[in-house]
Order: sequence, then structure tokens, then C-alpha cells
Amino acid sequence: MSGGVRVRPGNKTGKKTGRKTGNKTGVRAGSAVTTPARRADQKISRALLVRTLFLLAICGISGFVLLAVRLYDVQIVNNSYFESRTLNSQLRETTINASRGTIYDVNGKILAMSGFVENIFISPLEMSLHDQDVRFIAEGLSYLLNVEIGSIIERAGRTNSQYQVIKHRVESDEADRVREFIIEHRIRGVHFEPATQRYYPNNNLASQVLGFVGSDDTGLDGIERRLNDELTGVSGRIIRLTNARGNDLLFAGFGDYMQAKDGNDVTLTLNMSVQYYIEKHLSQAIIDYDVQGGAMCIAMNPKTGEILAIAQYPNFDPNDFLSISERENERISHIEDEDEYQEAHRMAQFRQWRNRSLADSYEPGSVFKILTYAMALEENAANADSTFWCGGTIDVSVFSDVTQRNCWRRRGHDSMTLFSAMTNSCNIACIELGLKIGPRTFYKYIEAFGMFDRTGLDNSAEGRSLWWDESVFFNRRNQSQLASASFGQTFKVTPIQMITAAAAAVNGGYMMQPYIIKQITDSEGNIVEATEPTILRQVVSGETSALMRLMLEDVVNNGTGRNAQVRGYRIGGKTGTSENTEQLALRDEDDTSNKDYIVSFLGFAPADDPEIMILLLLDTPSHETGIYISGGSIAAPVVGRMLEDILPMSLGIMPELSSEDHRDINVHVPQITGQSVDEATASLEQQGYSFRVVGEGTTVTAQLPARNAFVASGTRVLVYTDTEVPRDLVIVPNLSGMSYSQARNALESQGLFIRTGGAPKTDTNASVSVQSIQADREVMYGSIVEVTLINAQIVEQRMN
Amino acid sequence: MDKNTMSKFEELKNRQVGADPDVLNWNERDLSTELIDAGKKTPGMDKPMLVITLVILLIGIIMVLSASFTRSLYLQGDPLRLFSRQLIFAVSGVALMLVTSRISVRTISRWSMQLLLVSIVLLVLVLIIGIRVNGARRWIGLGGENGFMTFQPSEIAKMALILSFAQMMCKLGRDRMRTFKFGVIPFAVVTGIMIVLLRMQPHLSAIIIITALAAIMMFAGGTKLRWFLLAVTILIAMISGFVFFQLRTADPDVAISNVSMDTVRENLDLRSLGYEGRRITAWLNPDADPLRDGFQIRQSLNAVGSGGLLGLGLGQSRQKHLYLPEEHNDYIFAIVCEELGFIGAMLILMLFALLIIRGYWLAMNANDKFSSLITIGITSLLAIQVFLNVAVVINLLPATGISLPFFSYGGTALWIQLVQIGIILSVSREIPLTRDMKKVKESGKLKEESGNSQL
Repeated sequence: MSGGVRVRPGNKTGKKTGRKTGNKTGVRAGSAVTTPARRADQKISRALLVRTLFLLAICGISGFVLLAVRLYDVQIVNNSYFESRTLNSQLRETTINASRGTIYDVNGKILAMSGFVENIFISPLEMSLHDQDVRFIAEGLSYLLNVEIGSIIERAGRTNSQYQVIKHRVESDEADRVREFIIEHRIRGVHFEPATQRYYPNNNLASQVLGFVGSDDTGLDGIERRLNDELTGVSGRIIRLTNARGNDLLFAGFGDYMQAKDGNDVTLTLNMSVQYYIEKHLSQAIIDYDVQGGAMCIAMNPKTGEILAIAQYPNFDPNDFLSISERENERISHIEDEDEYQEAHRMAQFRQWRNRSLADSYEPGSVFKILTYAMALEENAANADSTFWCGGTIDVSVFSDVTQRNCWRRRGHDSMTLFSAMTNSCNIACIELGLKIGPRTFYKYIEAFGMFDRTGLDNSAEGRSLWWDESVFFNRRNQSQLASASFGQTFKVTPIQMITAAAAAVNGGYMMQPYIIKQITDSEGNIVEATEPTILRQVVSGETSALMRLMLEDVVNNGTGRNAQVRGYRIGGKTGTSENTEQLALRDEDDTSNKDYIVSFLGFAPADDPEIMILLLLDTPSHETGIYISGGSIAAPVVGRMLEDILPMSLGIMPELSSEDHRDINVHVPQITGQSVDEATASLEQQGYSFRVVGEGTTVTAQLPARNAFVASGTRVLVYTDTEVPRDLVIVPNLSGMSYSQARNALESQGLFIRTGGAPKTDTNASVSVQSIQADREVMYGSIVEVTLINAQIVEQRMN
Repeated sequence: MDKNTMSKFEELKNRQVGADPDVLNWNERDLSTELIDAGKKTPGMDKPMLVITLVILLIGIIMVLSASFTRSLYLQGDPLRLFSRQLIFAVSGVALMLVTSRISVRTISRWSMQLLLVSIVLLVLVLIIGIRVNGARRWIGLGGENGFMTFQPSEIAKMALILSFAQMMCKLGRDRMRTFKFGVIPFAVVTGIMIVLLRMQPHLSAIIIITALAAIMMFAGGTKLRWFLLAVTILIAMISGFVFFQLRTADPDVAISNVSMDTVRENLDLRSLGYEGRRITAWLNPDADPLRDGFQIRQSLNAVGSGGLLGLGLGQSRQKHLYLPEEHNDYIFAIVCEELGFIGAMLILMLFALLIIRGYWLAMNANDKFSSLITIGITSLLAIQVFLNVAVVINLLPATGISLPFFSYGGTALWIQLVQIGIILSVSREIPLTRDMKKVKESGKLKEESGNSQL
């Protein structure tokens, strides 16, 4: 290059200067060739060279040095800053929601499940950046999502925000409609994010057991809360490089993926079918007996401790756990003060969520006698040959205190065997046994029956029992406490404690650990945890237990539990009636008319080898119904009905019917329509139905009751030969207090049919206590009215 | 030199001597010019210039492919759409460059004033028939609005300014160039007309380039330095006065004594003054409005900064995935930095520097003043564009919208750039190579006749 510079013509050389001057003379006019002066100008002057060099230094060197320095600063010095800032915008982290585990019943039926839904949110910032028509979008979203338009516009106004949820938990079809709306109108700033929604497909079924989840998918009550950690999975994450539109980057392998771990599934021992039947009859009982304080029912397999059902009224729908039942709503609707109403509403919510079978304690009353008898037999305080005498009262005075206890039957039961003492539910016999056992042994057995401790079914939900302190109870002066305790008064236990102890008395003497969680499986189906039946201890011997089963079966066959009979099954059980002690404390002493009672019945079947035990509590049946309030007349028939359905339908235990039983059961009406009249009448006769032929025809054109209708055996079937079935409305007669045949005649005279429950209809003392369709209602001609028969002579105890 | 050339050489020497005293004083340059005229083998075009240009062009096309690939794919579904167009323009552009290099400087100079006239007409025309893009009319479409080609009259204007200024400067002569009347006013008038017309488009980047180009041409052409000093002083005074006024408006307590670069950076907010003001504010503080005004520069810095020393590798840019706007165009150098790293970016800048230095070197060795001036002009134009483009990409200067020569996507601009190189090559053709001349000298005949032995 330096050589090149040398080549340039130096106009300072003497030679060139000379040439220049010499040229001045030879200008060619009009020539394209320039004049010498011009020509000199066309030569590259020194100044031009210097200035070019200067430009070279500035444009060719300095500028690039400047760029290089700045580039070094950005690329090398601040590399990590820009790198992380860039990755921040390029990396997208997506949360993969873990699905909450499913809750199954023992047969694998779904009790609670999670589904994927979407939250729809808007980015007001993005909307304003892209000049979106907020009003239009808000109108669209408001229409599609049924959200108030004002709130959408208000949210869209927060233009600094990028996340304003418009609606939580939108189902996929609804979300798809929003998606279409967005695509159609090229809307920017409306987004979706996955979320989960808990579903309870059976609505109110077993609501207190299952509990519910809050808006953040966290279990707040019941199994949902207790097993929240198991049911909740671990959210996964996807970290990936994306382009500016949030799509995966092409050709980029960079990314991280963490699989979501779905929550574990829980299988309960709960049997949905058992639960269903229990709830069905429970809700009917609430109406039939106008039960004021709610109803509780536990069904348990007494041999294993598995909980088959826990039901309670009022209950709720976990899908909508804040709403209270209609019946409760009615009860509080009269409250006018807003605050008071809210408080009442809140209390109603707490009541419906509370699993009272576990949480609340009550005086078990006569049901407790099962334990007194069992410990007496075990301690040889009595045996099968023991005899008792009841004169109506017993003196339990110690020293100078004059204390006497009465039997529920003031005139006494006179002389009794062990069995008849039990079947009559005699208090005096029980007191005698209790005194014989003595307070210390009594307490030892109470403890062994688990009456002091929570059962461990669900410690967080279980309440505590309430007993006299040992120092009080063991004091001889307080013998009267022992006397009362022996027939189930002056202490409180929870229903779950009661049924668990009663199960031990009839299952061979084994105290079983009650449980409701059968197994926990992970999302692949591997068993994480399984519960096996656990024997805690043996409380009484097998012989004692066998004797107890016989005695309790006798209670249902011949005693106070007679109304719980189910034809074809051996049922054992014990009635109970206890006063509502809270209410009692507030009463005047001489007020005897309107005591509040908790009526209960503990039944089990089959009596010789129990598969199921049911404890039913009805808190405060109304006196208004006119039905005598006792466990035997109210609770027993309900449990009978439950067992009648559960044993064959849920547990597959079929009835063994004797010929006598056949007259006593409800049957399915055969199909006779289409047959000739002779054929039809012959077959009806053969099957034990009476009948009446209506019309002159030879072929049966219609029948009442319809085919497969479930009615009392011996029902008179109406055989229509040429006329249509009448479609009139008829009025249901009041059947209360009628015998079976009276009730049947009363119904048939109106063109109605009868179905029975409770005491056998062959029992001459049985009379109607409740009817499924209330009197004076108008129903279609040919409808079936179900009646509950109770043995009027069974009058359960009521303690003073 | 072969025999043929030598005989021609002799013939020329004999013809020139005594024929015309004006051209009698032949030297190496005249000789080579004549040789070219005679179509004989000459030292030829400058090989380094040609090679560097072709290397830069090749890298540029590859980078267009890399940078445009993703956007073309995402938005058009055809990843090679922009690249194939650019390739066609590059190949035809090289042909144009070689053809231009065959045009003699005289021919170019003959048409330079006409070109100025044409360019002014085009600048007027574009205001009437120009294609409106983002509110500005800068493009003229050939074959209708959506025709195959569009071009910016401002590109022609830059070229016309270089050629016409060089021509005017040669015509005016050294002495008159030193006066204000001849050395400043005619050039200022031409530049002023162009600026007014460009302002009407509007086209800020072209105004900046035209102004800088005019200043450089006048500087090289011999305009007195004092006018530059005066202009620069006035400019600096106006800018500082403006800045201070703006700061004062925002905060009345500001005093000259406590104004520092940081206070300017933090407090100067020109967003109310239209889009130029917003760009300056975004330049001073890109994070002030990261999603609007500062978006592009932040994305550009992200790309450059994440490149590091060695880059993410060719084709591996992540910012080109729709993050960085104009990634195949004004901001293609950001993708270069991201993919090729500091090393790659520096190599490319060095190639540009070599090209520019070689350009100035050729200007210094050009055959005559006109050749020298147009070479300076073209080289400086190249340098201004490279500097302003890269400076914007790395936020050294506010965004202007200047493309990177040979890199940025754009067919007609590439053509014009290659034609410009072609002109430099044409100039270089007339420069005899020293070594060849030495051979001539060594032949001994030169020494006897001309007495130029001192060379």
C-alpha cells in the first residue's frame, strides 16, 4: 500500500509545476479536455489526501473501534445479564395440574372424582396494547359465560394487570364456545388455563363422609380433608423455549419436563347401595315422623369393623356445599333480621356438614343394655337360667340416701327369665345385673368396649364420650349412678362407639377396629396402603356372644323390636329411647307431656351370623304425628325396612320364606294382561291373589296393579276385560291406627292398593302408624300406599 | 507486458508527443487510461475490493437465510420465501456490479448532473405516486403498487448527491471551493432541497445520511474547515439548549452545573414530541416502556447480549422466533451477533472496515479528483450506513431505520449498493498497479523519453 502512495503524482515536483505553467498557453477552445488550471484541479491535491486520510481514520477505524468497544460491553461484559433476561422472556413455564384422586365405594363405584376444566382470564395490558374493543369482548364473554358485564369491564380497566380471572372452572363445551368467539373476532388478550373441578356424581349421597373441597381444590371436610395429602397430587411443570407467540420453538431441544403426579385414589369400605337404601328410608322417616333434630345412621359389618354406610339428615350436596336443604331453609326462612338469618344459615351449614354419627354424643338408653347383659354373662352375674322379678321400682339406696329407680313399666314385669327381661327391656333386671357386676368391673368392661376412647375411625372428626369420673363412680354412695348407667342413662357416647361395642357383643366377642378406608392406590393402580380387619381385643367369650345373638333375635321376634321384623330373615336388635337431656334440664319438674326423645334401634342380620349391623338414631320425632314415641314403634320399623332392601339388594342375602311368611310379604304382581280371563283368574288364584273381574270380555285388556308392582300378598287384583283403566283421581283415606285388614279395605274401597312394612300384617295387634301417601291427598286411581304396621302393645320404655 | 502492449505503448508515446501539449505530459495514469481505451490488458479492477465485497455479500445472504427463515415459516409457511428473492437480487446485483465496473469514469461524470435532476424528480414523484407504508411515502413501485420491484428514490438521491457534488467540485476548482459563495451555498441548496423533499415523505434516516454525506463530500471537496466548525458549534449549542430546555420544563430546579449524563438519561422524556422523540427516549432508557417504544431495542440487545463470545451457532438464534422485529432487515446484525457471537460480529465488522479502508485507499490513488471524490463519497456512504445500523442495533444511537449494506433484506437497495461498488471498481480500473509500472519502467525506454525517473 505504501508503494501505491508513492505512485501518486506529487504535484509539488518541480517537473509537474513546470508542466502546469507550460500548459497555460495551449488551451483548446471548446475542448472537452480541461484547461491546465482545471486540470490541476482534477489532480488530487494534498489537502484532499489529508482529508481523505482523516475520513479513513474516522469512518474506517474510529467508528469501528467504537462499535467494537460497545459490542464487547454488551456481548462479553454483560453477557449473563442479557442472557438471563432473554431466557426469561423465551422460557415458558406451564403448570400441569395434577388430578385429584378419585374416591370409590367398596365395589369401585365413583363417589367423588375430578375433571379437567378451564379458568378463563383476560390480560387487560395485552388488550390495551392491541387496542381491543373492550366493550364488545365484555359483551361476548358476559353472554357466553353468564358473568356480569360490569365486572368484566371493570377488570378489563386494570390495564397494568396481565391476569384477571373472568370465570373459574369453565366446562369444556363452554370454554370451546369462548374459543370460537375469540378466533372468529381475532380477539387478543383472552386466555385459558387448565384447572380441575371436583364432581360428586351422587350428589347428597354420603355427603358427611365424603366432605367437600374448597375453591383451591383442597379438602375442607370429611374424607376429602382427612386424606387431602393422599388425594392431592404433585403438580408437574413444563419448561420450554417458545417463540414470541408462546408456541414451542422450532429446532430447539432445550426444555425441561416434570411429570405431574396425580393424586392417589381412595377406596372406601362404604357400600353405595347400602348407603342409598339407608338414606332413602332415613329421608322417609324424617317426613313420616316429622323428626325435628335430624337423623343419623351407621351401618357396619360387625365381623370386620368395615363401615358400610354413614348417613345423616339433613345432608347436603358437596357439589354445592354452601346451600342448605330445603327443609332447613324452610325452618329459618321466617327469620326477618338479616344478621340473625345469616347466623341461622351459618348454623344450618355447620349442622349439615358435621358428621354427627362420629362427632356428637348421646345417651344410648336401652341399646346399651346389650353391653350390660354381655358383661353380666361374661362375669357370671347371670346365666341363661337366671330369673328376675320386677315390681316396677327398685331401691338402690346406700346408707341414709333414699334413692329408687323405676322400670319404664311402672306396674312391673313380674317374674322374668333372662330372655324375657331382655325382650321386655326391663330396667330393674338391668340394674340388678349392674349392681351385681359392681362399678369397677363395670368400668373395666366399659373401657374394654371402647367407650372411653375414640374408636379411631376418624380421630379428627370424632367426639368424646362423657362418663362419670372413676372416683365418683366407684364411690358406693353413688351406687345410683351405676344403676342408671346399667340401662344406658347418665352418660353419653357417640353413635360410632355404641355400634362398635354392640358389634363386639354379637360377633364372637371381638372388639374390631372400625374403618372406612379400604385401600389407597396410586394413579397406576398400585396399592399404596390397604386396611385389613383388626381385632383390638376380645371382650367377651364366644359363648356369651352366641347367647347375646339369641337374646337379641328374641327381642325382634317376640319383644320390643318386633316392628323390625323382615319376613324370611333372622333379625336381631335392640330398641332404645332416651331423653334429650339438654332439653330436660330446662324443663319444669312436673311437665311430663312433651319431652324430647332420641329414639334409636340397633339391628343386625342375619341374627345367627351377622353381616350387617345398623344403628339408627332419630333425634326428636314430633309428638304431632300422634305415634307413640319410642325406639320400638318408630326406629325399629325403619331399620326393618332398611334391612328388607339391603339384605337382598346390596348384600345378596336372599330371604328364606316359610309358607306362613309368604302370606305376609309384599310381592310383585304378575303379568295377566293379554291372557284370557279364565287363564288369568286361574293363575291369580294359584298365586294367592284375590281378584275382581271388571267387564264382560273374555280377554284381559288391562290390570291393576300394573305388572311388577310391589304390593302386599293377597292383594285383590282388578282384571279389566273390555274397559280402560279408570284415570280418576281419588282421595287417600286416613289409615292411622287401623289394623291391616281395615287399612286394606279402606284403600280398596277407593281403588287403591296396599303395601306393608314393620310388624307382620298377620299380627293381630299390628296397626298402621304411618302411611307413605298422606291422608286427604289426591292420587291416581290404582296407586299403591305403603303403610308401616307396628305392634300397638309394644310400648317402649320411657324413663322418668 | 506482452509485445502487443509494448508496441501500443510505443505508438501512444509517439502520438502524444507533440500532438497536444495538454495531454503531452503523460504519465502512468494517462498511459493506463489510454491502455484501457485501447481495450488492452490493464492492471484491471481492484481485486481486494472485489473479493471483500463478494465475501461480505455471501455472508450477508447466508444471514438473510438464517434470519428470515423463521418469520417466513411462521407467517408465510415458506421458509425460503425471502431468501430466494434476496438470492436472485444478489446474483443479478453482482452482474450489475461487473457491468458498472466496465463503464468509464468519464461516462459517469458526464451523466452525474442529469442524475441529480432525475433524483430530484423522483423525490417529488414519490410524494405523489409513492407507496404509503406506515404513513410514509418512501417507495416507488415498478409495475404497479404490488409489482415485482420497489425502490426508494432516496437511494438514488444519495448516489446522485455523491456524483453531482464531485462533478460540481471539479468544475468549481480548488480556489472557489474555499469561498462561502461557491464552497458552501450551492451544496447547501442542493442538500436543502433534498432534505425538504425527504422531510415530506417523511424519511428521517435518509435525511441523516444525506446530511452526513453532503458534509463529508464538502469536507473532501475542499470547503473551508471554519464552516464545519461553525455548523458543528451551532448544532451542539442547539442540541444542548434543547436538552436543557426539556429538562427545565420537567424540573424547574435544574441548573446547568448539575446536569450530568445520568440526569439526562433519567429525566429526558421527549415522548410528547412525536415518534422521533419517543425513539430518543427509548434510546436513553429502553426499560422505561419495555413493551412499546423500548420493545425493539430491548429485544435487539437481548439478541446481541445473549450471543456471548462464540454465539449460539449459525441458525440457532432464538430471538428471531418472532421476538425481534425486523430481524432480517434493519436488525439483522443483532441476529449475526446472537448466532456468531462477539468473534463472528467482529470478523464481519473487520471485513467492513477493510472494505472501507480499501475504498479510501483507492480514492487516494484515484486517477483524478472526480474519481477520488466519488470513491470517497461511496465509501463514506457505506461507512455511515454500517456505523449507524450497528450503532442502533447495540443501542449506541437512537433507532433510525438504516439497513446494513449487503446484509439487510431488500433487493433494490442491494442492487444500488453493488452498483456503487461497481463504480469504485471502475475507478480502480484506471489505477495502474505499481508492480506493472515498475516493469514498464524497467524496460528502460521510459527513462530516456520522459525523465520521470524519479518515480
